[in-house]
Amino acid sequence: MKAREKERTLRERFGAAIRRTDVTSPGRWCLYVAPEAIREVCRFVFREMDARYVISVGMDDRPYSGRFLVSHNFAFDRDGILAAFLAELPPDRPEIPSIAGEVPAAGWAEREFRDLVGIEPKGHPYPKRLVLPDGWPDGVHPLRKDHAWNEVPEDWDDEVTFRFDDPPEGCTVVPFGPFHPTLDEPAHFRLYVEGETVRGCEYRGFMVHRGIEKLAESVMSYNDIPMLAERICGICGCVHNVAYAQAVESAAGIQPPPRAEYIRTVMLELERLHSHLLWVGLACHILGFDTLFMQAFRIREPLMWIAEKISGNRKTYSLCLVGGVRWEITPPLAAELRGILDRLEKEWNEVAQAVGRDRNIQRRTRGVGMADARLVKELGLLGPVARAAGVDIDCRRDHPYAAYDRVEFDVVVELDGDVWSRVLVRVREVFESIRIIRQCLEKMEPGPIQTPIDEELLPGRIGLSSVEAPRGESHHFVVTGENNRPRRWRVRAPTYQNLQGVPAMIRDQTLADMTIALGSIDPCFSCTDRLETVDLRTGLVKVWSQAELEQLVRARKSH
Amino acid sequence: MLRQLCRKMFGRSLWVYHANSGGCNGCDIEVLNALTPYYDAERFGIKLVGSPRHADVMLCQGPAMRSTARALRRAYEAMPAPKLVFAIGSCACGGGVWHDSYAVLGPVEKIVPVDFYIPGCPPRPEAILYGVALALGLVDKKIVPAEVRAEVLPVPKYHPEDLRREEEVTVYTKAEKF
Repeated sequence: MKAREKERTLRERFGAAIRRTDVTSPGRWCLYVAPEAIREVCRFVFREMDARYVISVGMDDRPYSGRFLVSHNFAFDRDGILAAFLAELPPDRPEIPSIAGEVPAAGWAEREFRDLVGIEPKGHPYPKRLVLPDGWPDGVHPLRKDHAWNEVPEDWDDEVTFRFDDPPEGCTVVPFGPFHPTLDEPAHFRLYVEGETVRGCEYRGFMVHRGIEKLAESVMSYNDIPMLAERICGICGCVHNVAYAQAVESAAGIQPPPRAEYIRTVMLELERLHSHLLWVGLACHILGFDTLFMQAFRIREPLMWIAEKISGNRKTYSLCLVGGVRWEITPPLAAELRGILDRLEKEWNEVAQAVGRDRNIQRRTRGVGMADARLVKELGLLGPVARAAGVDIDCRRDHPYAAYDRVEFDVVVELDGDVWSRVLVRVREVFESIRIIRQCLEKMEPGPIQTPIDEELLPGRIGLSSVEAPRGESHHFVVTGENNRPRRWRVRAPTYQNLQGVPAMIRDQTLADMTIALGSIDPCFSCTDRLETVDLRTGLVKVWSQAELEQLVRARKSH
Repeated sequence: MLRQLCRKMFGRSLWVYHANSGGCNGCDIEVLNALTPYYDAERFGIKLVGSPRHADVMLCQGPAMRSTARALRRAYEAMPAPKLVFAIGSCACGGGVWHDSYAVLGPVEKIVPVDFYIPGCPPRPEAILYGVALALGLVDKKIVPAEVRAEVLPVPKYHPEDLRREEEVTVYTKAEKF
């Protein structure tokens, strides 16, 4: 179905409830919907038009339009459309019908805007606090415009602890974290176990909520934010950096020069390479195959060196400005990169064979942590988790950005939906990344790497951007604003959705399989929590660290 | 004194525990990198352990967060004395870019006493190794303490309207912070 037809279908079905449609740039729609119809519109789009749920954003727009705004973003992957369904809410009574009943994937996002912006999702099935710290008083919403970025409420209480739900009958509670030997990042789980079997869990995370979105809206400027965005996550930072720059470019109608787009593509793929190598290493570590862990890190190290040569830093590349990039890939660097890729390909072949032949790995991962296509659809799971379940989505192809429309690559899909399939997807994606970088180096033409921007960016424009991170789609939503900074910037990292699928993946599996099931989504708490501190529940967190594994082992012994 | 104490107490066996109190993961991965073949921290007797009760050293990463302050303090108290604390990365040393955000308390020294600082965003594995080797007395310190007077720098607002020309000089208007 073509884009126009889709829009006509919605209009015919809902009539005046669709108040306005803006096409802000090719493939980016903003539909203004009457708040009372939002639930039905979202249900129709999600169930009958087969859109993929992306994220919900709450905004305090009172200083500008005098209203609160809620945006439910959906993606039509086959048509390359990202659509924002916006509802305007009155300033005195910010309430909106919850869509979490119809679109389960929206559960966390609605709780998040309830915490942070104070917009009440009416009829939410589980309206518990998600993001803010335990001691944060109710009724104070840090993302409202009348709350300063450094303002801590006076009735902040250090002594408050989180209230967990009661465990189901007959289950023992096994607590994890927040500092666990090798939980890489702080998060707390309460697993409900019955004998050896995990029956469920409660997750209290969002401990890494640093208030990044608030900082961006109040103290940074357009070109400071890429630096901040990069520090959302130390592993896939460049993804956030590029996604932010693209969101602003899409809002303001800026086209970066072709060479800049190629450089972005190369750096994004370099990042995917080092992240996938890291993941395969850590997954082997979790399974007790430490030799391969060391091998993967040895193979990965030259990638860090070349990244440092190009950008000056091993991890945080500071790549993008709005409208271009900072770093040039000079011919000597390109030659060196080619050499590194050749060696990587050879060595990775050996690793891939070692993994493929290892019966221990297969026995530990086949049939473990199942996520089928239905779960992927319901909870909006992304990236290798979705592709391992046979769901053929990849933003690089579906919503082409940077130079991905000018290179050839295959989207790797496996069908089983277990951890083993996710291993295979990541192992094979490494070869695709190598292929993409080689084509980019081949096709890059000399030219400028930055578009001059002479005029002020118009305020109030909406920009949407999706970038395929190593873990799945990273989605950025930007509303441009005054004072050289955006009014609202919302980041949806892939782990935000994938984490919500973990409880279903580990249910009724043995405790020993839990770590790898968690690890298989390549969890990244810092991405997920970026905004504020919140407490979550219902979700399960997966962490790949050795510490957790050790903890688990210890928990089993003492049982 | 501290160095002698370290040498005496920890010898060639330094067990480290790493606590991420809310950072971005970058420092974690560099610490992990320091343990892998190219850097191989184990040759100095450094071993990553899973529990603070087994550890001599705590590696702190990430800023002190409101949400994890209590847990970090408890992890520190669980370590047997003598114990050392390393602040790894800009966030742990000084609070990082979010030092004054509503969810962040600041540098980790607000919660636990820090003995060594390894700055960087993230610090390179070599820097982490150097810091630990410094604690062990294997290398010398390369810097000396200096008194620094904090300067208040105006944050320029790069906006055409705010640039005034005054006799051949472009003047930035000082930005209001909020």
